[in-house]
Amino acid sequence: MRDATVYLHFPWCLEKCPYCDFVSYKVDRPAIAHEAYADAVLAELEARVSTLGDSLASRRFISIFVGGGTPSLWASESLGRVLEALRSRLHFIDDPEVTVECNPSSLSEGHARDLRAIGVNRLSVGVQSLDDEDLKYLGRLHDGAGAMNALRAAQTAGFKRVSGDLIYALPVHSAEASLPMAGQLLDLGLTHVSAYQLTIEPGTRFGELAKRGRLPMADEGTSAEAFLALDSYMEGRGLRHYEVSNFAVPGQESVHNTGYWRGLEYLALGCGAYGFWRMEGPGEPAWGVRYLNEKLPESYMQLARTMRDGTGFTAETTGHSTTASTERLDGETLVKERIMLGLRMADGFHVEASEADLLVPVRTPERQRSADKLEQRGRLCAEGERWLVPKSRWLFVDGTAAELF
Amino acid sequence: MSVDPSRIRNFSIIAHIDHGKSTLADRFLELTGAVSNRESREQFLDKMDLERERGITIKAQTVRLDYRAKDGELYQLNLIDTPGHVDFNYEVSRSLSACEGAILVVDSTQGVEAQTLANVYLAIEQGLEVIPVLNKVDLPSSDVDGTKQQIEEIIGLDCSEAVSCSGKTGVGVPAILEQIVALVPPPKGDPEGLLRAIIFDSWYDPYRGAMVLVRVVDGKVRRGDKVRFMATQTDYEVTELGTFRPFAQALDELSAGEVGFISGNIRSVHDTKVGDTVTLAAKPATTPLPGFKDVKPMVFAGIFPTESSEYPALRDALDKLHMNDAALSFEPDSSEALGFGYRCGFLGLLHMEIIQERLEREFDLDLITTAPSVVYDVYTTSDERLRVENPAKLPPPQNIERIEEPIVKLSIHVPPEHVGAVLSLCQERRGVQIDMKFLSNNRVIVLYEIPFNEIIFDFHDRLKSITRGYASMDYEVIGYRPNFLVKVDILVNGDSLDALSIIVHRDKAQVRGRSLAEKLREFVPRQQYEVAIQAAIGGKIIARETVRAMRKDVTAKCYGGDISRKRKLLEKQKEGKKRMKQVGSVEIPQEAFLAILKVDG
Repeated sequence: MRDATVYLHFPWCLEKCPYCDFVSYKVDRPAIAHEAYADAVLAELEARVSTLGDSLASRRFISIFVGGGTPSLWASESLGRVLEALRSRLHFIDDPEVTVECNPSSLSEGHARDLRAIGVNRLSVGVQSLDDEDLKYLGRLHDGAGAMNALRAAQTAGFKRVSGDLIYALPVHSAEASLPMAGQLLDLGLTHVSAYQLTIEPGTRFGELAKRGRLPMADEGTSAEAFLALDSYMEGRGLRHYEVSNFAVPGQESVHNTGYWRGLEYLALGCGAYGFWRMEGPGEPAWGVRYLNEKLPESYMQLARTMRDGTGFTAETTGHSTTASTERLDGETLVKERIMLGLRMADGFHVEASEADLLVPVRTPERQRSADKLEQRGRLCAEGERWLVPKSRWLFVDGTAAELF
Repeated sequence: MSVDPSRIRNFSIIAHIDHGKSTLADRFLELTGAVSNRESREQFLDKMDLERERGITIKAQTVRLDYRAKDGELYQLNLIDTPGHVDFNYEVSRSLSACEGAILVVDSTQGVEAQTLANVYLAIEQGLEVIPVLNKVDLPSSDVDGTKQQIEEIIGLDCSEAVSCSGKTGVGVPAILEQIVALVPPPKGDPEGLLRAIIFDSWYDPYRGAMVLVRVVDGKVRRGDKVRFMATQTDYEVTELGTFRPFAQALDELSAGEVGFISGNIRSVHDTKVGDTVTLAAKPATTPLPGFKDVKPMVFAGIFPTESSEYPALRDALDKLHMNDAALSFEPDSSEALGFGYRCGFLGLLHMEIIQERLEREFDLDLITTAPSVVYDVYTTSDERLRVENPAKLPPPQNIERIEEPIVKLSIHVPPEHVGAVLSLCQERRGVQIDMKFLSNNRVIVLYEIPFNEIIFDFHDRLKSITRGYASMDYEVIGYRPNFLVKVDILVNGDSLDALSIIVHRDKAQVRGRSLAEKLREFVPRQQYEVAIQAAIGGKIIARETVRAMRKDVTAKCYGGDISRKRKLLEKQKEGKKRMKQVGSVEIPQEAFLAILKVDG
C-alpha cells in the first residue's frame, strides 16, 4: 500500500497579487461559477479514476489540499460535493488531513464553520504580514487587524489546526522585522507557520518591475540574516523548523506538503493543477508522469465535460482531456527530485528507503563522491541512511542539491 | 601515352579572399566541360566545408582541363589552386613553383590588396608569367580603368591587354582561357631525364594513405614504380597515380610537365613534405629541385579538453589532423588549472583557428584554448638560451638575463582617410614605422616593424574595425630583438591560474593585468566566501578585483509544479559545473577562458 495525496486547485481571486505566479484570475465574487466548476472537477475525477483503474486500489490517500487562487471564495456546498465524491471514490485513511487555503478577506467565522461541516480540518491562512504598509506593498486586500480577526474566527469555529503564511525579506525591513509578527501568530495559538522570503517570479507584476530595475529589493545579506533570525526565534518558541520555509509544533507538520517533499504521488484536479503519478509495473524501476491541467478556467471546464477514459497521463491524449501537458519522469529524475526536496527538510533524504521504493540506484559512485566532498566541506551530513543538510547551511541547499544530481 | 609538353599549360590563380577566385575557377570547369552545370556545386574547388564557409582555400587543389583553343588544338590546362592566406606562404610558393603562369584576379570594385601583393611578388620572383584579370565588372561600383592603373603603378604589370570579366555572369571568361594558352609558356623539362617531381601538397586519405600532389619536372613516373622522397629519404611503391578532372581519374603515367597525384600506402604526410622532390629509387636524380624548407610553427597555444575524460579523444584527433598537416605540432602539456592537454604549434593565427574549429566540429570535442603565444628567446643568467613558447614555462625573473621576442615586418594597405587610425594602432602596439607610400590616390601602404606578440591577439580584428574593413595586412618574421618583457600571472584566492599567464611589455603589464582580472571577475561564480582575483608580476600585485561572497542560494517555495521547474534549473547548474575547472577552492567556468582570450590588448 503506497501513500498518496490529492491536490485540488481553485483558479479565482478577488485581486491578483503582484508577486503571485500561481494560476489565478481576478474575478468579481458574484461571477464565480461555483457549481459548474464543481461539476467539472467531478467529471475530471471520474475520468482519472477510471483511467487509473486498479492502480488506485493499491494507494492509500492521506491528505487533500485545496489551493489556489482563493479557495475560500468557493461556496462550501460546492466544495463539499467534491470532497464527498473524493471520499467515496478514493481509499482514504481514517481522518485524513483536509486543508483549505484561505484569504483573511474571505474567511468569516460562519464560513469557517461551514468548512468544518464538510470535513475540512485544517486551514492555511494567507496572512503574509501584520503590518498595513507591507500589506499594501504586497497588494493585499486585508490589513493586519483583518488578518488577526480571520485567524480568531477560524479558531472560534473550532479549527485546531490553523497555519499562517508570512512573507519576509521585504525591501525596507530589518532582518528582525518578521519576528514580532511570527510572535503574534504564535501568541494566538497557531501551531504552524510558513515563512517565505519574497521571491520575484518572472511574469508577475513584481517580475516586470524588477526586470526594468523599478522594484526596490531587500539586500541579500539582510534576507539571509532574516532567515537565520526566524530560525532561532521559532525554535526558541518551541516550533520545529522542519522545512526551509516551514515551522510547526512537533506533530503539527503539514501532512500534505511533507508528501511532496517525500516524493509521494499527488492526484491533481482542477484548472491549472499539477499532478504526479507513478506508472511503473510491479517490480519495475520507478517512472512517472507529471501533468499540468489546462490553465484557462473556461477551457478547463469544457474539456472536463468531454474528458474520456484512458486519457490524462500521456502527451498523446492531450486535447482530449483536461491535461495540457505532461512530463515523463524517469527513475533517475525521480531520484534527483527526492534529493532536491529531501535536503530541504530537517529529516533529510533517506537514501536506502528511496532506493527500495524506486528500485533505482541512488548511491552511484559519482554521487557518493560528491556526497563525500560535500561532507568534507560541512555542507552535508550522512547520518546512517540519511543525507541531511546542517541547519547552518540550509541557505545554500540549492547548490548542494545540484552537486548531488 | 604522354602529352606533348608544348600543349600543356600549368597555371594558378592569385586573388585576395573574396575577389572571386573560386567562382572564376568554377566557370573554367564549366567552359571546358569538366563539370556540367548540374554537377557544379558552387565553388567546386574549395572542398572542405570550412573552406567553403570562410571562403578561403586551406589545401591546394588541382584540376586538369581539356581545352580546345581557337587555333584548333587541344590543350591540357592544369589549374593549381593555391592557399590564399599568409599563414600558408610556403605552401603558396611551392604551388607556384609547379606553374609557369599565374592569373592575377583583382576585384575591380576593390583594387589591389596586401595579401595579393605578397603572392604576386612571389610569382614574379619565381619567373611566372602573370596575367592580370579584372573581375566583377558586372557590379555597378566596378572601376576597370582605375584598377588597371593601380595594377600598373603598384605591381608594374602591363594591363593594356587585361581581360575584364565576371565570374558570376561568365563574361570575359573564354578570353582568359585564350590568354592562358597564348601567354603562359609551356613547361620546360626533360621527359627523358631522371625523374624529378615537386610535391606541392599532400593529404591523408583513410583508404589510400598519404596522397601526394606533384608536378613532374623531368622524366616520368609510372604505376608500380618505386619512388623515393629525397628530403625524408623514404621509398614507396606507386600503387595509384592519376589526375583530377575534377574527379580523380587513374592514369598509367605522369610525364614531364604534367600535374597529378600519387599514392602508395604512405603512412603519413610527414614522409611527403611539401617542397620535397620525388625521384625513382632505382635511378635517383642527383640533385633535388630547389626550394625545400621544413616549416616551423610560429604561434603556440595550449589546447585542453573541458572534460578530462576527453583527453584520449583529443590526442586521437590531433594525431589525425597531424597526419594531414605537417605544419601542426603538438606535445603533451599540463596545467594546474586546465588539467592535461596539448601545447600546439601553428603557422599563424588563421591556422590556429582552423585547427581549433576542425577539432570541435569534425571531432566533436569541447575545448579550452589558451591565449596564443609567440616563441621567445630567453637568455638566462647562466648564459643559456631557452626557447619559450608557453608563458607558464618562463624561468623566474631573477634567472633571466634578457628576453628576445620575434619581430615582424608588417605591411598594411589602407585608404588614405584611415591612415591616421592605422598609425595610432601600430604605435599603440609598439610598432616602429619603416615606410609609408602613396600607391595611388586611394591607396597607401604602411610598413612597420612590430613585435609579433602584438599582432597575434586581436590586431587583425581591430585593424578591420578601425578601417571599416578597408585595410588588408600581411607580415613576415624578420628576426628577434631584446625588450623589457615580463610575465603577468593571474591569481584566484592566491592560486595561480597558469593557463592565463601572459608575457607582455613592462609598460603594458598593469593595463593588461587589470583587464584580465576584470574580465575574469565577471565569470567567477560567487562562492560562500569572498574571492580575490589578482594580477601579479612575480610577487608584486598589480591589480585586484573581488567577487563578493554569496549569502544565500535557496528557493523559498517548492510544491507541486515548482518541483519540475526547480529540478530543471538545478540540472542545468549541474551541467554547467561539469564544464568548470577547479582552481584551488574555486570553480571557474569555461566561458571565462574563452572570454579572456578575446580581451583587448
